[in-house]
Amino acid sequence: MTNDAIDFEQELSTTLDPVAKAILVCAGVLFVVCCLGLYGFAGELNVPATVTAGNGLSVPTSGSGDATFYLVGPGTAIKRTVQLGGNVHLTADDLQNAGRYIIALDGNSASFYVSAAPVHSIALLARPSRVPADTPNVITGTAFLFDRYQNLVLQPQPVKFDLEVNGQSVTRTETSKDGVAYTKLNSSKKEGPAQFVASSGNASVRRVVQEVASDPCNIRMTAQRDPRGILVRTDPIRDCAGNPVPDGTIVTFTSTDSQGKSTVDARIKRGIAQAQLPASNDATISVASGVVVGNEIKWRNE
Amino acid sequence: MTSFGRMALVTVLAAFVVLAPNQKINSVLAATAPSVSLNAAQAAPRQVEDTTQKAVARDYAAAWQAMADALDQNRADLLAGNFIGTADEKLTASIDQQRKTGLHQRIVDKGHSVEVVFYSPEGSAMELHDTARLELQVLDGSKVIHSEDATVRYVALLTAAENSWKVRMIEAVPSF
Repeated sequence: MTNDAIDFEQELSTTLDPVAKAILVCAGVLFVVCCLGLYGFAGELNVPATVTAGNGLSVPTSGSGDATFYLVGPGTAIKRTVQLGGNVHLTADDLQNAGRYIIALDGNSASFYVSAAPVHSIALLARPSRVPADTPNVITGTAFLFDRYQNLVLQPQPVKFDLEVNGQSVTRTETSKDGVAYTKLNSSKKEGPAQFVASSGNASVRRVVQEVASDPCNIRMTAQRDPRGILVRTDPIRDCAGNPVPDGTIVTFTSTDSQGKSTVDARIKRGIAQAQLPASNDATISVASGVVVGNEIKWRNE
Repeated sequence: MTSFGRMALVTVLAAFVVLAPNQKINSVLAATAPSVSLNAAQAAPRQVEDTTQKAVARDYAAAWQAMADALDQNRADLLAGNFIGTADEKLTASIDQQRKTGLHQRIVDKGHSVEVVFYSPEGSAMELHDTARLELQVLDGSKVIHSEDATVRYVALLTAAENSWKVRMIEAVPSF
């Protein structure tokens, strides 16, 4: 013991009354205990900046005795007593969710990130579900890439979009950005259910896009006398690729004579549309569907 | 007690108080939604309409307020209406775990600088890059075990619902 220390001890014993001395000693002990307990024997927490989801992690600790270890992150809040001086083991289950984690041990804390594992599944938005055939950039596909823990895979990945109908296929490969890849595709010339597939690595997902005939290419009708007036009927109506225009499509027949104008809307049924127009001795009859106008008939009742 | 004794006692106690961990707890919950500054100039492939921008900023701010309240009070019911899918499941799991371990989190939200980086062609999904300034505390009961002022970057996926935008996924990332 140095002379200074001896002098201080002597001064302490001579200048303090016993109660103050006891309080001072207790406070000092409390201070030391608290410092050790709160700041601990453990040194800095050494954790990697980033861990891949589903991988375990060992956090080395220093010191001795027991301490409370905390892990707080997305979907996780762990509190456990650990032995200082060894490694704290975090299992793959503890670190499944991508995001920012905080660990705290014995007054020290640190943060690190968990990033997504490789692509395991794809969520595909395919729009619309029903499209006209032979139309450019009408089908959009948006793919979201997820790992096995439903974390968005933010690393760029090649994503293949494939649209196939009646053996005809269109393929396009895009690179995902921030977990998302999208494309626009032309519809096929032939109608039918198109298989729209997005794939990345071993993951793929399929949607069906119904491709239907687009607008009629032309409309041709005939007219004949009928006991109740004039019966007008179209030939089978097709789009410009030869696909039958879907049943239910509206076709409008119009008759104009000296009495005025008569209009009848009819739906295509089994590929053709027909309607009954009022009898007339001298009429002009026209037919149209959407923006497509068909032939015109000059009707004379002889 | 002598003056020296008193001085020594005060010094020791003061040191104890100063060196003890920061026990300051902001017990005031977010009374209003945090500020969200939203920039949609770089949104692709679809442009974001003005009304949609306002709706997204409003709903994203509400989601953060709900998340902060839910993680502080350990009440998953406070998430309802703002989160769906994976985000809802993971936050609910967090709250469940926190309740079991006696932990909770306090988030003092100091604002979000948000950029729309993706808006799906059909307008049903949106991805955000959010740079959030937060005061974060993790508490074991009333004891603060972690406290920091942090700028945290988040990637969030939002889905258009019937009359609002809901957070489907939110992940903190080291960088964009």
